Amino acid sequence: MLQLDRVSKSFGAVLALSEVSLSFEPGIVHAICGENGAGKSTLVKILSGQFAATAGSILYQGSPVAIPSSRAAQQFGISVVAQELSVCPDLSVYDNIWLGSVETPFFHKRSTLRARARKVLSQLGQSDLSLDTPVRSLSLGHRQLIEIARALVRNAHTLILDEPTATLSDGEIGLLFKAIESARAEGCAVVYISHRLNEIYALCSTTTVLRNGRLAYTGPTSALSREDLIRHMLGRPSSEMFPPLGKTGREAALTIGRLNVPERIRDFSARVAAGEIMCIAGQIGSGAIDVIEAIAGRAYDASGEVEVGGKRLALGSVERSLGAGVILVSGDRATDGIFLNLSVLDNLVAANLSGLSRGGMLRQAELVKFARASGQKVGIDVDRLKARAWQFSGGNQQKLAFGRLVGCKGIRVLVMNEPTRGIDVGARADIYGLMRSFCDEGYAILATSTDVEEVVGISDSVVTMYRGEVVGRYRRGEADSARIVRDITHPSPEGNGLLS
Amino acid sequence: MDARLSGVLKSRDARPYLVAVPILLAVLAIDHGQGRVLTLSSAFSVLQQFATIGPTALALGLTMIAREFDLSVAGMTNFAGCVAVLCGVQDPLLGILAAGCMGLVVGAAQGFLTIALRLSSVAATLGGLLTLAGAGYVITGNATVGYPRMDVALMVNSPVLAIFSLRSIFALTTFVAAALILAYTRIGRDLIATGSDPQAARVAGVRAGLMVVGVFAVSGFLAATGGALVSYSIAAASPAALTNTLIPAVAAAIIGGVSLSGGRGTPLGIAGGVLLLSMLRTGMSAVGIPPFAQDLGTGIVLFAVALADAEHLRMRFYELQRIGRKRPA
Repeated sequence: MLQLDRVSKSFGAVLALSEVSLSFEPGIVHAICGENGAGKSTLVKILSGQFAATAGSILYQGSPVAIPSSRAAQQFGISVVAQELSVCPDLSVYDNIWLGSVETPFFHKRSTLRARARKVLSQLGQSDLSLDTPVRSLSLGHRQLIEIARALVRNAHTLILDEPTATLSDGEIGLLFKAIESARAEGCAVVYISHRLNEIYALCSTTTVLRNGRLAYTGPTSALSREDLIRHMLGRPSSEMFPPLGKTGREAALTIGRLNVPERIRDFSARVAAGEIMCIAGQIGSGAIDVIEAIAGRAYDASGEVEVGGKRLALGSVERSLGAGVILVSGDRATDGIFLNLSVLDNLVAANLSGLSRGGMLRQAELVKFARASGQKVGIDVDRLKARAWQFSGGNQQKLAFGRLVGCKGIRVLVMNEPTRGIDVGARADIYGLMRSFCDEGYAILATSTDVEEVVGISDSVVTMYRGEVVGRYRRGEADSARIVRDITHPSPEGNGLLS
Repeated sequence: MDARLSGVLKSRDARPYLVAVPILLAVLAIDHGQGRVLTLSSAFSVLQQFATIGPTALALGLTMIAREFDLSVAGMTNFAGCVAVLCGVQDPLLGILAAGCMGLVVGAAQGFLTIALRLSSVAATLGGLLTLAGAGYVITGNATVGYPRMDVALMVNSPVLAIFSLRSIFALTTFVAAALILAYTRIGRDLIATGSDPQAARVAGVRAGLMVVGVFAVSGFLAATGGALVSYSIAAASPAALTNTLIPAVAAAIIGGVSLSGGRGTPLGIAGGVLLLSMLRTGMSAVGIPPFAQDLGTGIVLFAVALADAEHLRMRFYELQRIGRKRPA
């Protein structure tokens, strides 16, 4: 049996997990829920040996243990399906299933191990999948199943699954549930992390809710109504979080007609007015992100009739999209968002250098003046202009990405993916406020999010997607969480989806 | 075509062997039936070249498979040659042993630094390269050191079964051993996993750090023993003699299908790359093409391979076509 005793974890000044005590009993499926940033993944990483707890202890069969690595976690019978895929594309299915297992002998190609791998795969409904197929050639869903197979094949005492169903089809989810049930029946403690309330009620007998790194609730799932569960997760009425809706203009800022990206999106269309926030809700693989990428000019094989401010935009080039007035504000700050290694000042002025230079030389005084003005507008501490962007919290980094837009000429449309990814609850409200203030100035925002509360709270209109196709469209007031969740997980029966 | 055969032909390992065919045909055409190319002595000569570049290329290639880069191999071959020649006068095996141990230790140290201090392996091994080169000048007193054992020099070079020599047999053995380890053992699997996605490998439970230290140790060992044998074969060691092994080694690894982003490539492919370069050099020499033109030939082959490797080639073509079709407004 695995127990956590007042476990805390901090990253610098940020407390990700605070004095959490839990125990995972054999034969019980234990749900852990919470908003993004509530500390779920930190908890998983502590149990799987990727993070060391700052305080508190982990008890294995009653005695405190240290879990310094994934290998050590395995020795305590802990097996994890991580949220980020950890399959190696250059290895075969077989090698990935047994990768890192302490059971693999020096000469690792054994018929007994092959048989066990095959058994687990057929349990997950993948008996057709050849063990020698390179994982590089498999779809995201299949890769996820291999990751699950890896956890199952290890015969763990504690099986931890962190959002395992995000990329799976309904059929595959059903098979996964059967596999979890049989592991549970054999006495395994299962820790199940999910955003999907339906799954939690179907599968888990105990539920723990984390909020801002603290334990908000732990107890039997049956004693918890859906409303209570959501209230524990949010810790407040959702109305305080989101700014009031603004006034949407009539004139279309962005019109998308028959947008197609091979194998990703089929015939997507939408119309976003100036001052409007439209959210595309969908899970990973739904095509929602691909719409954003295509409009930002980052999908080379995208085709469709897109107009920005009434002018035709030829897709497939970031420069053309920018020229037409479309800019990407990415939630993936590390790769697409801001320059982490540059100073706050450099980030704020990055998109306006030509206006701030004369004869090719930057005018330092102008730069500082400009950066202070845009920093103030988005709520960044302007006395820290010399600090490097990576020293800022996620929320402040996202504000930097907005700050860069201030004063950009000709921009009409902001396209955003996961605008509040990895941002704590407090800063999120600021980001929502910023989004709305940009809209009030006449920008149109097309955003995608996997966070349903966010979609409902922030949008003037919502489009739901499943497997590359639009499922539903809602105006303000029509959309509620339940409908959106149903749309993005259980599409209407007539739509089979592009990728099924 | 048989699906299995077409799979083999499309694999990255097969590439150097496929490229070798037109090159051989071209050399034969230039030879114009004078019989200078397809002889036992040119086969011997190709394998001697193979023995010179091979171990270094394998050393570097293995580190590239692990998503690292061991630039120090060039310095290592030189320095190990000097060590072997200085230590191996009484007993040549002792010289090789000394060189091999030195390679193993220095390699492991570089790997350890890379992991422990989270250095880029290019920076760490560039330091290693310069340090080893400098150390070579120090222990030889900046002069070529002769190796008095001509018997040993003759022995390592004398033909075995007409086309092999002790040196080329050693080189081929290292490739076979590496191929077997990569294909059939847990170590090989973990090495590929580490190169493929180090974080994923770590999460799965692979000791990725240990794999990197190990691959650098093996790389040092291979480069050092290879260098020692080369110095024996020319009965001399000079701190400056072999610096030109790095470029052919990188070229052979890349031609052989080793990916610069790690995780892909096999010893069989690297061997193919080395063989191709050796054939190119020997073939061109045999038909009387001057050395500067030989570099040109190698360059063209490498360029062609780099083009074929470009992952976004299809996207670029698509873009070009589209721009060609209609200019954006």
